[in-house]
Amino acid sequence: MKVFFATDIHGSEICWRKFLNAAAFYKADLVVLGGDVTGKVMVPIVADGGHWKVTVRGQAYTLETQQELEDIQRQIRNAGSYPAIVSPDELQHLSQEEGAVDRRFTVEMTQSLDRWLDMADGKLRGGEIPCILNGGNDDIWEIDDIIEQSPCVSFAEGKVLDLDGFPLVSMGWTNPTPWDTFREAPEPELAAKIEAVAAQVPDMERAIFNFHAPPYGTGLDEAPALDDTLRPIHGGAVMKPVGSTAVRDAIVSHQPMLSLHGHIHESRGVKRMGRTLSINPGSVYGDGVLQGAVLDLNAKKGKVARYLLVNG
Amino acid sequence: MATEAVGGEAPTLFLRKATGLVRGWSVRDSLIYACLATNFVTLGIYEFTFAGPAFPKGQLLTSVVISGIWVSFLVVAYAGLIVTIPRAGGDYVWQTRILGSGVGFVMAATGWWFILWLWAPIYGNILSVQFFQPIWATLKWTWPGGGYAWFGTKNGVFIVTVITIVLAGFLVSLGMGGYARIQKWCFIGGLIGFAVVVGLLLFNSHASFVSSFNLEAHKLFGVSNAYNATNHAAAKAGYTTTPFGFGPLGPTMLLVPAMMFFILWPNWGATLYGEIRGASDFRRVFSGMFIGLWITVILTVIFFLVIAKTVGWGFYQNLNSLDYNLTPQFGIWPYPFLFAGWLVHNTAFQVILLLVLSLWFFGWVGTLFLSSTRVIFAAAFDRVLPDRAAEVSEKRKVPVWSLILMLAPAVILGAIYAYSATFRTYTLDATLVIAVTYLFSAVAVVLLPFVKKDLWRASPASRIKVFGVPVVPVSGVITIGLLVYNLVMWLWKDQYFVNSHDSLLYMLAMYVLAIVLYVVARVVRRRQGIDLGLINKEIPVE
Repeated sequence: MKVFFATDIHGSEICWRKFLNAAAFYKADLVVLGGDVTGKVMVPIVADGGHWKVTVRGQAYTLETQQELEDIQRQIRNAGSYPAIVSPDELQHLSQEEGAVDRRFTVEMTQSLDRWLDMADGKLRGGEIPCILNGGNDDIWEIDDIIEQSPCVSFAEGKVLDLDGFPLVSMGWTNPTPWDTFREAPEPELAAKIEAVAAQVPDMERAIFNFHAPPYGTGLDEAPALDDTLRPIHGGAVMKPVGSTAVRDAIVSHQPMLSLHGHIHESRGVKRMGRTLSINPGSVYGDGVLQGAVLDLNAKKGKVARYLLVNG
Repeated sequence: MATEAVGGEAPTLFLRKATGLVRGWSVRDSLIYACLATNFVTLGIYEFTFAGPAFPKGQLLTSVVISGIWVSFLVVAYAGLIVTIPRAGGDYVWQTRILGSGVGFVMAATGWWFILWLWAPIYGNILSVQFFQPIWATLKWTWPGGGYAWFGTKNGVFIVTVITIVLAGFLVSLGMGGYARIQKWCFIGGLIGFAVVVGLLLFNSHASFVSSFNLEAHKLFGVSNAYNATNHAAAKAGYTTTPFGFGPLGPTMLLVPAMMFFILWPNWGATLYGEIRGASDFRRVFSGMFIGLWITVILTVIFFLVIAKTVGWGFYQNLNSLDYNLTPQFGIWPYPFLFAGWLVHNTAFQVILLLVLSLWFFGWVGTLFLSSTRVIFAAAFDRVLPDRAAEVSEKRKVPVWSLILMLAPAVILGAIYAYSATFRTYTLDATLVIAVTYLFSAVAVVLLPFVKKDLWRASPASRIKVFGVPVVPVSGVITIGLLVYNLVMWLWKDQYFVNSHDSLLYMLAMYVLAIVLYVVARVVRRRQGIDLGLINKEIPVE
């Protein structure tokens, strides 16, 4: 069985489209997206008297036609941001009223996800190609129900799904980050969550852990060291491990066949931990490149026959 | 959900609090890296010893300024690549993405891996002539046999090379965390040491230098009237120098390829992390490298001016020419900072000054293998190298195999370097091979707007224009000009010692080795059912 795994596309529409085409491109039997589906940035496009004004990556544009508007919206979405068309009054309201930006973000994220799932329906031939998604620490709670209701995408968060005899255990929670995001828990709590779902696995030797957080100190979790103001120190050259010890302990003690991770975009890599092959394909969603792992699973032997990290 | 508005009263974007949204790194940090990489002391002064006598009609000062201007375009080109594809791995990532996997691997393996084996003995030699020899000579230590002269023997060169390799390997295994802090203090200390040297040369007269030189040379080396003796020896060997000045341009341009030995590396540590990119990032990345480069150029110019004022330009070049002709005065490499320290007749001061100035070396030596291990890791993750190459030991977090792949060949080549005088001339390939790697990155930056249109359109670099012309690709073209000019000169002119038959074979062997590695990897992986051609193939969007 061939699996394509990617993660952390953070709202990049071009990466989502590529993800939907990945099964056909890599001749994979199913595709898995390991969390952090939603974006981090919202770009206001101010509608004013028949034209629109927007600043993208520091460059101000005045858009005169609907075509120009659509082009810039596409550019913004491809970069992983949400274009939000607002009036000048709405922009003022957003910037002044507490909570207004949060609410608008939620609207844009959920609407965007709805659109993505509609696309998936067509691309995945109505569920003929299995597609599995779970949350990541940056994903708002509202996405869970939306994905659950999709007819062609399986929501794997906190579940054990059977992939032709390979149990897939998924968990979008991570250890605490400096950004205090949605699905974070202290290590002991995270360990308890992992154990709760791992207990449902019938055969650990064939199991796949799909945990968003990478295991601590494995090289799959190296992020730039930051100072108190979240500025990388020493020119970003100093890296430090920021993964989860609970995830690491779970891998070491359960020794699944394979563990798949994301979360730390810079830490693309592969690590063997006993009999477990651990992979973080990393993410460069901002470039419109879908990094992923193509995995050949040998059903008879219950092991990973081949893997390849790709920049699609 | 916590959010942040960017753009003042009328925000141009809103950020929600999410992992990885970090502030840009400071220009100060990157300029320190750039300045230490274009190390005017360890590499620059080392190179002047060779370059001045090799091209006696050229002007070092003018050539450094011309080189600085020309390399500034390389800075623009690389800043464009960094903000467009801001990934650790640099040339390897850019070239594999834009030019293809095979080209990327061959260029990165030769320019950032194999050739750095050769830089180990160069670093070792610099440590020997700028640290061990002058300190031993100043303290008149006679151990090991022969005192300071021992470091110039075959055994001495080899042992110091091994010390350098062990030191660089140890620093890699420690990680950048502690070393980056050390680097910062080394940079500050090195600048203070240089300021002391400038002060000494500025506030002392030429006559004072001559008498101090004669006095200390007699005290330490037993040479009488050493200043005049040096000039006579150079004249006797047939060397005549050109007075300090600015021209003529023709012979001065011949010095430019020699200056690349130290001035071509402002982009050495250039990686950028951060996901929200804007025009300010280009300015920040560019400024760090550009200011670092020009600090080096300015320090070099100051050095030349104070040398000309107090030491005497002709004398400095004569000292260098004697070393160039393998008859160094006092049997020691002519370290100008050693001689500047002689203006104070106090051994403790002289040693402390040498120690402080050695910070230029120690702040820089740890970078020797850092880039190499990154390339080895990247190639292993791409399945071009065996998985083991990327293994990190569980206990000590040391990248064992990648270090072995660096250290073992470096030690072997260090031994050959130490015991074969012929092989030493090959070290000049060290610049050439990296320049070839840069050339392919320059080609990549020129092709970027055509090959990766969406990526380029979205890049802040695409909006840097002068009179409507995009600056980054044009800078790429000018950089290609710089690198092609240097390559042609290196291969054409005998004085650079690069174009010898054996040297060319040596370089060729490295490229063949990289190509063979890549082809073997393709074949082996295909047999395993892995198609390496898929690695950088883009998935269709529609």
